[in-house]
Amino acid sequence: MVLLSAQRWIRSRLTDRFWRVQEVLKYARHFRGRKNRCYKLAVRSVRRAFVKSTKARREKKRILRALWITRIEAASLEHGLKYPAFISNLLKSQVELNRKVIADLAIYEPKTFKSLAALAQRRRQEGFLAALGDGKEPEGIFSRIVHHY
Amino acid sequence: RYVRQLQRLQLLFSPTAADSRGARQFVEEAAVDFARQHPDVVLYVSPRAGSAPLLLAEYLNGTVREELIASKTSEEIKQLATKLAGQSGLDIIRIRKPFHTDNPSVQGQWHPLTNKPSALTVQGPRLQLQ
Repeated sequence: MVLLSAQRWIRSRLTDRFWRVQEVLKYARHFRGRKNRCYKLAVRSVRRAFVKSTKARREKKRILRALWITRIEAASLEHGLKYPAFISNLLKSQVELNRKVIADLAIYEPKTFKSLAALAQRRRQEGFLAALGDGKEPEGIFSRIVHHY
Repeated sequence: RYVRQLQRLQLLFSPTAADSRGARQFVEEAAVDFARQHPDVVLYVSPRAGSAPLLLAEYLNGTVREELIASKTSEEIKQLATKLAGQSGLDIIRIRKPFHTDNPSVQGQWHPLTNKPSALTVQGPRLQLQ
């Protein structure tokens, strides 16, 4: 808006208080109701929002890990394995991939995930043979442990 | 080779106002040294009356950053200038993810029919005969 006369300029002055109020209101713009417009309500809401976001950083790690586990469980069930069997057999075969990477593989590289599930299944069978077969059969191939030190 | 992202630095200050004192001292003492140390940054010094002293930084991707240097000492202005010279012009906001790919999937992204037998998708004359 172009204010042409000096009196109009003075009537719409931007005081320091305006900038101090805007500093708070800019974080409340996407709220619902009067909290996004009225300073008194916005101060309380913005402070609570900041506190919640600080505390939620610890919860985010837990939430994301639970999300990954859900996805890995769904993907391994497609290949006929349950999540505890999948993860434990993968660890026993010395495949140390974390849940984030395995979940991303399950989404973007389905064939790789299928081969991981097949590896876990094979290791599981070898584990059963070793436990129930009582030492007469040869040791499983995928049960061998490689020492890197 | 390193390409400095800072294109030009405009130092706007007033020759008489009190809050531009640090800017005037910077221009007298340290501006020439700064210009020699950063040969690929163009330093413009323009005195103008009436407004607050500003340090305008323009980057190669077009972003313009204004920093107020009112009531700052010459040392502080020099540190500010070196900080701006080391930055790139990208916006200073929270980066959501520290990684980005244009091709996230090599084998083809999963869809509900990836692990199902292909009899569900393929329609051929042979299947109908059997």
